[in-house]
This record gives sequence, structure tokens and C-alpha cells, in this order.
Amino acid sequence: MTTDDRQEEKASEAVSPQPAGPLSVASKPTAPVVRRWWHRWIRTPSELRAMGVVGINMRNARFLLPNNPRKLYDLVDNKLRTKQLAVEKEMAVPETYGVISSPRDAAMIHRLLGNRDSFVIKPARGSGGKGVLVIVAREGDWFIKPSGSRLSLDEIRHHCSNILAGLFSLGGKRDVGLIEYRVHPARVLTEISFQGAPDIRVVMLHGYPVMAMLRAATRESDGRANLHQGAIGIGIDLATGRTIRAVHHGHPIERHPDLKVPVVGVQLPHWDAILDIAVTCHEMTGLGYLGVDVMIDEEKGPLMIEVNARPGLAIQLANGVGLLRRLEPALNRHVSHPHDSREQKIDFSRRTFAAS
Amino acid sequence: MASRVKLLLVVLFLTAIGGGIAAYKHVRLGLPLKAGTLPEQWLVEAKITFMASPEGGKVSARLSLPAAAVDEGIGQESGSVGYNYYVEKDRGEYAAIWASEKQSGNQAIYYRVSFPKLLKSGGEPMPHSGGGLPVAEDPGLSGASENAAKRVVQRAKSVSADPNSLFVSLFTAINAIDASQEVGVLRKQYEGEVGGRSSAIPALGIDLLNLAGVPARLAYGVRLEEARGGQQPTRLVEYYDGADWKVRDPDEPASTLDPEKIFVWNRGGGALFEVNGDAEASQLTFTVIRDLVPLTELTNLRDSPLLISTIFGLPASEQAVFRYVVLIPLGAFVVVVMRNIIGVSTLGTFMPVLLALALLEIPLDSGLIMFTVIIAAGLWFRFLLSRLNMLVVPRVAACVVIVTLLMMVLSVVSYKLGIRDGLQITLFPMIILAWTIERMSLIWEEEGKRSAIMQVGGSLFVAVIAYLFMSIRQVQYLAFYFPEMLLVLLAVIILIGRYTGYRLSELMRFRDFKEA
Repeated sequence: MTTDDRQEEKASEAVSPQPAGPLSVASKPTAPVVRRWWHRWIRTPSELRAMGVVGINMRNARFLLPNNPRKLYDLVDNKLRTKQLAVEKEMAVPETYGVISSPRDAAMIHRLLGNRDSFVIKPARGSGGKGVLVIVAREGDWFIKPSGSRLSLDEIRHHCSNILAGLFSLGGKRDVGLIEYRVHPARVLTEISFQGAPDIRVVMLHGYPVMAMLRAATRESDGRANLHQGAIGIGIDLATGRTIRAVHHGHPIERHPDLKVPVVGVQLPHWDAILDIAVTCHEMTGLGYLGVDVMIDEEKGPLMIEVNARPGLAIQLANGVGLLRRLEPALNRHVSHPHDSREQKIDFSRRTFAAS
Repeated sequence: MASRVKLLLVVLFLTAIGGGIAAYKHVRLGLPLKAGTLPEQWLVEAKITFMASPEGGKVSARLSLPAAAVDEGIGQESGSVGYNYYVEKDRGEYAAIWASEKQSGNQAIYYRVSFPKLLKSGGEPMPHSGGGLPVAEDPGLSGASENAAKRVVQRAKSVSADPNSLFVSLFTAINAIDASQEVGVLRKQYEGEVGGRSSAIPALGIDLLNLAGVPARLAYGVRLEEARGGQQPTRLVEYYDGADWKVRDPDEPASTLDPEKIFVWNRGGGALFEVNGDAEASQLTFTVIRDLVPLTELTNLRDSPLLISTIFGLPASEQAVFRYVVLIPLGAFVVVVMRNIIGVSTLGTFMPVLLALALLEIPLDSGLIMFTVIIAAGLWFRFLLSRLNMLVVPRVAACVVIVTLLMMVLSVVSYKLGIRDGLQITLFPMIILAWTIERMSLIWEEEGKRSAIMQVGGSLFVAVIAYLFMSIRQVQYLAFYFPEMLLVLLAVIILIGRYTGYRLSELMRFRDFKEA
């Protein structure tokens, strides 16, 4: 159990799927909110409800538990299995160089690495970016991390045995390590990120993309893409793939705090392909509510990095839209048109959730 | 909304059963719902356990009874299956006799006494019964120990005027840490003969008193303190001051017995208990419970059907454990509220409950200081260890070792500083501490120190809240005497389990949320 809200401890109760309750959010825009004294500290529940903000309890009870059967979790919690599925579906994923599944493999790591000078080692069951080791270059016997710090082969070996012992996995289970291709992010993205590689997250319900954001690192977040560690969240218009809004620590910004480049109004390349990858992930996992993480490689185009069965709530902040405003129309559409094809789903989302 | 209906039905059903049983207990059996509306009662239970021979054979057990209890007719009862039971009186002393023709295997016999607080301790001066005057018996020492004993007695006699002051000076002398050589010799000898210090000191003192011409004999008492698990009978000394027999505690020779702290079970020099026949490994343990319900009602409760009587059908020694067990769901409930309604982030889900249970054993302030010191020191060691690039399981094991050593050091240091609470830390869950250190150090490396301290702080905060909730007297009372209320609690937890509203922390998290 970790405390990341994406890993909210999992209730194992069975909840029958139910249509939206009486707490529907009208899609009419709310009246401008008058600032009152308490707004310095909190928003009242009724204000949040009026804006359609989804809290963890609601996410779990209304969207996660009814739509994501427990038996499907292992499929996405284990990146190795997710990748295998994706390869069967002919989806583009980072190439796997090798799998470390036993202490012997960890000891022979230099064989698996060969003479590659850039790669990523990650735990198959890791969560929230824990235990991911990125190496960008080699200098003789030293391996260089994006931050510029150097690691010896021994330290890499040690990192692998930590992965095997289950240090980063959910519930401390024994784990395997993946060595894979390090994505070289498209220039458009590196320009708006400080060091770390930005990734794109698309959240979907029943195969309808409902919201998307780009997470870019800052000096403060130290190459990580977690918003609460100071990364910036950039909302994306589902219809066009242009960035429409950005927040840093919950406050709207126009420019990157360190790089001073504009982060709003950037057109992401390959947007159609990204949406296509997202919908394929829904089809191959069978999860009703999921988040798909995609990176855009300079040469290879969009690559699916991982599927998350418990996507968090920060995406609402990045887009400035309550998730419920998107989830409810998608749910209603799913009930009224249960047999939409993938093209129809993408088309519906792009029409309905376009940023005006 | 079928699921909503089902949920409501379940909740109503649980509430009806739990509340119904509680109401029945309150109305029909007269158990008060509020703690503290009654004078406190002490329930002392003597439990004799022994092994009867596997083939089965004649067994009889004899337990001397507190005369005060029988004379004043305070609540008492015995519990045993398959025995003939009667009470016999012999020269003002009572004894309970159990006899059976055929018993085999492990046996347990219970005798309970219940009395209101502030009664006499039973150690009051009492005239000698059975004609004549008591005679001091010669302890029959010889050789070096006789000389040593005589010298100790002489020294004590020279500073005392009457049996009372002789008693005080003798026991002060043999209790002293920097005892004289003679006392040292005697103590060693007696410890060799009768076992540990707690039985050697009274035995030695009695012999010395007799040597000095003061008739003395052994008495047994029960300390009135609720300890977890049973307690052994406390050895007291009864001596004759020329007019009456008096009882004093050899550990506190200078004061008379405090009826609030000790209850004299047996005096008159007879054996406390004996088991005869085909039996071996007999043992007597006392369990003391501070009861908030009068014995008559408790007996009613115990005789009710299974569903109603629940844990009160059990003997006191087993009940004592449940005093803590029934609190665990309450702690879990607090965690549920703190997580799903307030939104405090904690390390793991139920670590706070375990911490809160640990806090129930140690005073809060010293417990928190201990916890913080151990976590801080452990983290520091853990970072030293992380340079060694060890594997995970050995590293956690190393953490456990370090935590153990830290506890020892802390206990010794706090003892030297005169803080007694540190010594009770042994039950502090060490594995939890070790895991906490391990997890915290990981979060420290992965997400930075702020997030690590936040989560550990959150766990501690929730633990303290849970502890405070569990230590409310009224809550403990309801949980123990109305355990069916747990069904109502279950209903509330189920309701919270379907709560889809916001958490307090989210109201703050989204405070700057504006619609684009």
C-alpha cells in the first residue's frame, strides 16, 4: 500500500454498476463565484459539486470499483504483461532490451546491457514512477543519469536486486525488472520541460477519452512528473491536441517557471495516434475506468508507457474542468449507445469535450 | 437503486440486532448505559490449574478463602465442571473444597470474589483464635547462618521497642540494596532454598522474627491492579504483636496495608491452596478486574443465553484480554473516519491502530517521545546502512536489530534519569517500528523529506486520535459491556464505505480550483 492517491487502498467490496445518481452536474456554466473569507482555506462541498469536481471517495465508489474488476488489475499493475498485450495489438511501445527476473540476471546485468549507452530500468510492478532508473549516457565505466549524477555498475546491480526484492512494488511482492529503450522525447516537448521527459496522460471511461493532460518537470520537481512535487500539469484540448491551460501548485500559469517558454497553445504532434493508443488500451485490458500514459518519441512517434487502473484527480486542476462534467456524458452515452465502435467513441469525445 | 436498498437493509438489520440486544441488556438486566453511575467493584478471580492423570483418577483441590469475603457475604461464586464443591470452616478460616472421582487432562477451577472499593483489606489486627498464645517457633538455623541471623536480629532489636518497630527495622535491613554481609549471606542461602527474591525475603523475615521471639507466619494477598494476564499471589507477612495478629507487606514494612492496593486472601499460616490425588503441575493465578457492573447483574448476564452473555460467559482471566480486543474495531473505525472523511494520509492503513494499541500500554507523552526518538535514530542508521547496498530483507532485519538496541538504550537511559515509563516499552511493536523506518526512508528518497514526514506525522496523528478515542472511559465501558454495539459500528462503517462525498483535505486541495 502506498499513499499516493492513485494507489488508494482498494476496497474489495462488490458494487453493482449503477447509473449516475441524483447528483448529476448540470452542464450549464456556474455563476461566477463570489470570493468569501473561507476561500483562502477551503471550497465548500457544494461549490465543488457545482463545478463537478470528483473526489477520491467518488472516484472509487462510482467509477473505479463498479467498472474495474479486481481480477483485471494484475494485467495493468504488471508492466510486463501490459507490454505483451500491447505488442499483440501491434501498439507502439518502447523496445524491451531484457528482463531481470532472478538474482543471477542481476549479477549478469552487464551482459543484458551490452554496450548500450542509454536505457531505462524499471520495476514491472512499480507505481507512481517509483524505482525507475533512467540512464542517458556512458562515460567509461560510469552511467550518467539525466540530472548529471554518475552511477557505477555495482550501484545499478544493487538497484536491480532492490527491484527483485519487491522494494518498489505494490504490497512488497517479489518483482521483475525491465530494461527498455529510453524515449527521446520530441523536441516540442523537451522545450517545455526541465530535464525530465514529459508524458501525456489520457483518462477514459468505457473507452471514451474524457480528459488529457501533459506533465512537465520543473527544476523543483527534479525530473519527476508528479504535480504535488512541483511538476506542472498542462491541460490538453481533446479535439485538437493543443495545450489549453497549465497549473503549477494549483495556480494557473502561462509560462514554464524555469524555462520561461509559453506552455499554453502548444500543438502536440500525432494527436490522432495518441487517442487511438488510448482507446486500444481500453479494449485490450477491459478496464472501464483507466488512465493511459503516452510519451512521444522524436523518431518513433507516440509510445505507450503504462496503463493505470487508478488514475488520480490532479488532471482536473490541469484542465480547469471538473471530471464529473466529462464522466457523466460519457457514462450516459455508454448506456444509450452500448455498441459504439472505437471511431465513434473518439469522435464523440472530440465533439463533446472540445475546448470552446 | 437496488444496491442502495440492499445497503440500507443491511444497515438497518445490523443496527436492529445490535441495538436490540443492547436495549434488552439495559432494560431487562439492568445494566446501566453510562459508566461511572455505580461505585467501582473489584472482581478477583483465583484460577487453579493442574494436570490430572490422563487415565483419570481421584482429584481434590483445596483453596483457602478470604475470611472477610465469606463473613461479610460479599459476592462470591465458584466455577468448575464435574466437581463436588463445598466450603468448610475451620477456626475462623474458610476453605473451598472441590473433589472429583474421575478427571483427566488439563483442569481449571475458578473462584471469584467481588467487592466494592474501599472495603477493608482483610489485613486488620485480629485476635489469636484457638486458645492459648501463639509461640514463636525456632526456625532451626545452624552454623554460620545461625550466627548471621542472630547478629541481624540483635542489631534490629537494639533500635526497636516493640514487635511493630522490630518488623520495620528487620525488613528494612533485609530489603536494603547495600545490605550488610550477614544479610547478604542469609539472602543467598534462602534464595537458594526457596527460589526467587519475592519468596526468599518473606521467608527470611519470618524466620528472623521468630528467632527474635515474635510469632510470624506467611500470608497471601492479591494486588488490586489491572495487569494484562494473571498475577501470582503476593507474599505477605503476618506477625503477632502480643495482642493481635497483623499483616504487613514486606516490601513496604513501614506502612499498614492500603485497602485500595492490596486484598489479603489468606492468613493464619495455612497453605494457600493444595491439589491432592492424581494431579501434578498445579498452579494458582489471580486475575483482577475493575468491574463497573455489580455482581448480581453480571451473574444475570452470565446466565443469559449465549447471544446475550457473549464474553461474560468466560472466566475473568480470559475476559481480561477482551478488554483490549474490543477496542481494536474502535481504532479501525477512527482510521476509516480519518482517511475517508478527513483525508489524512498515513503510512499503510492500519499501522495507526497498532500504534494506538501500543500507546494504550505506555503513557502518551513518553510513548510519543520514544516513538519519535526511535524513528529519528533509526532513520539515521538506516541511511548509514543504505550506503552498504544491502538487499531488502536483510536490511529490514538489520532495522529490527537496531530498533531493539535503541529500545534497550532508551530504557536504560530513561531509568537512569528516573523516568519509569521507559521500562514498559517492551511491548511496543518493534516490527512496526522497523517497517516504519524502512518505508519512511524509501519515501524520503523517492518523494522527499516533506512527504515522508507528512505521512509519518499523519500516522502518528491518527494513532493519537484513535488512542484518545479508545481511552475514553465511557467508550471502553460500552465496548466491553455492550459488545453487540460493534454491530452498530459495523453498520456505520458500511455507510462510510459508500460515502462518495468530498474529504476535508480535498476541500483544501481544490481551494484554488476555477473553471477555465
